[in-house]
Amino acid sequence: MTLVSVTCKCGVYRHDEFLDLIDDLGGYVIQKQVIAQEVVLQALVPREDIAQLRVLSRVIAGEIQYSPLVGTEIAVVTMSLDIHHLPHASCDIGEYLRKSGAKTNMIGLARGFGKRIGLLSSEERDIVNEHDLVIFLFGNFETCIKYKIETFRRGISVPIVLCGGPKTEVLRDLFTPPVDGYLGDVGRFMHRTKEKDEIAKLDELIAEVSRVLDERRIRLSRDPLSLSPARLMDVILDEVPAIHHVLSPIPVVVQMDGVRIKLPYEEYADEIGAVVIENEIMIRDVVRLTPSKMQDYILAKILPMSETGIMI
Amino acid sequence: MPLDYFKVECPEPVGGELYSHLASVVLSEYGMSGVIARLHLYIDPTIPIFVAVGMTRTMPGMILIRDFSDVVVHENGEVMVNIGDEKYLAPLLKHLWDRFGKDRVEQPDRFTIVMHLSPEEQKGFSELPVVDPADGLYKDLIYVLQIICPEGFRVRTQRFMPGESGRFYFVASENTLPRDIMPIVNEKFELLGDGI
Repeated sequence: MTLVSVTCKCGVYRHDEFLDLIDDLGGYVIQKQVIAQEVVLQALVPREDIAQLRVLSRVIAGEIQYSPLVGTEIAVVTMSLDIHHLPHASCDIGEYLRKSGAKTNMIGLARGFGKRIGLLSSEERDIVNEHDLVIFLFGNFETCIKYKIETFRRGISVPIVLCGGPKTEVLRDLFTPPVDGYLGDVGRFMHRTKEKDEIAKLDELIAEVSRVLDERRIRLSRDPLSLSPARLMDVILDEVPAIHHVLSPIPVVVQMDGVRIKLPYEEYADEIGAVVIENEIMIRDVVRLTPSKMQDYILAKILPMSETGIMI
Repeated sequence: MPLDYFKVECPEPVGGELYSHLASVVLSEYGMSGVIARLHLYIDPTIPIFVAVGMTRTMPGMILIRDFSDVVVHENGEVMVNIGDEKYLAPLLKHLWDRFGKDRVEQPDRFTIVMHLSPEEQKGFSELPVVDPADGLYKDLIYVLQIICPEGFRVRTQRFMPGESGRFYFVASENTLPRDIMPIVNEKFELLGDGI
């Protein structure tokens, strides 16, 4: 069963029919947002059952659209949190990625700015590596980008998408070995992206990020995970009552190869590890639970089938 | 208001063009387009160095009490100031408190100030300077140039010369600056022209 990421929009009235249908079809609701009278559902649903959702959406005047980034957690790394880099372009990019379904975390580096002095600390590197993909937002000068990239890519184990002022082709030829994705013409700017060509640039970024993530999905599929991350989220939401007391809008963040659980590691790791998924298989049998570098959360990475010999 | 002269000089054409746009947005958003008349930016990321040289527009003179209010002097020595522009109210009050003391300054309503002054104090009262429009200009100018300048360039030197047609320069780098930066500054001032 191939799951497809979609965003369903509808009114509050009868939106529970959407929820029921997604559940009946074997899909998963990753996030539900109620905004005034509108409900936005980000979900993973079986590819062959999308038609059924479309039928229901017409009945309740809803809308379904393909959201390529649902179920991914992306780090948007900005060189600092100073006015030079915020709110544009960092927030504009973060917001646009969220519209496409991604869960984004903005990471403002403590000492990322400058050419020679820019650096990425080990803590920042570890936080970046907890994500599915990282977007580095560099400045306008290719000299600086070329100089800095070696410092910034060292130790990064997740795919890198690089944004900068020079043209995409220039960025692509700038260094070897290449990084996973590039987007030019998006360097440092200090105005809100609202013009047509600027929005088109953000669409290009979504396409580039989707392409890089698809490549990662293909790599993951060569040694499939023992358990779907969405299912792991479902099990935790069903079996761990404490998760419903978390005030965060997304208490369990779905990633491509695991989940981030927003509960304290010391207190809940053992309890979560002991949750039975099915047939006496516990979470700890197929998942590696580690303390996250982000606050005191739990990072759950699902082991591949080659390690566990189990496929649930 | 567009600048009389604005140019970004950079060995990287694309970077220079993007910087030109960025600087225009910052100048406009911080309301400095009406203050700066001529501006030349030089950025070389290979050195690395950022140089900004420019000239400010002619600033209006001191704002006097009579510029924004009516002053009525009664025979009993009572001076009534009717304020026409509220934005000068706070600096005027501060000025009067400092000069005459708070106990002598009455404010029966928001736009009226009443004082009892001796004939000597009444002389030239309406000519008292309240606000200097050039105050804070230097601070604002440097703040805006800091925003335009790449963030890592924190070693900097700057100077504002109000007496010399409002000329100013701002040099920044992430490395130690050369002991004498004036040759490069003067070279850029020559490109700037004198604006006449």
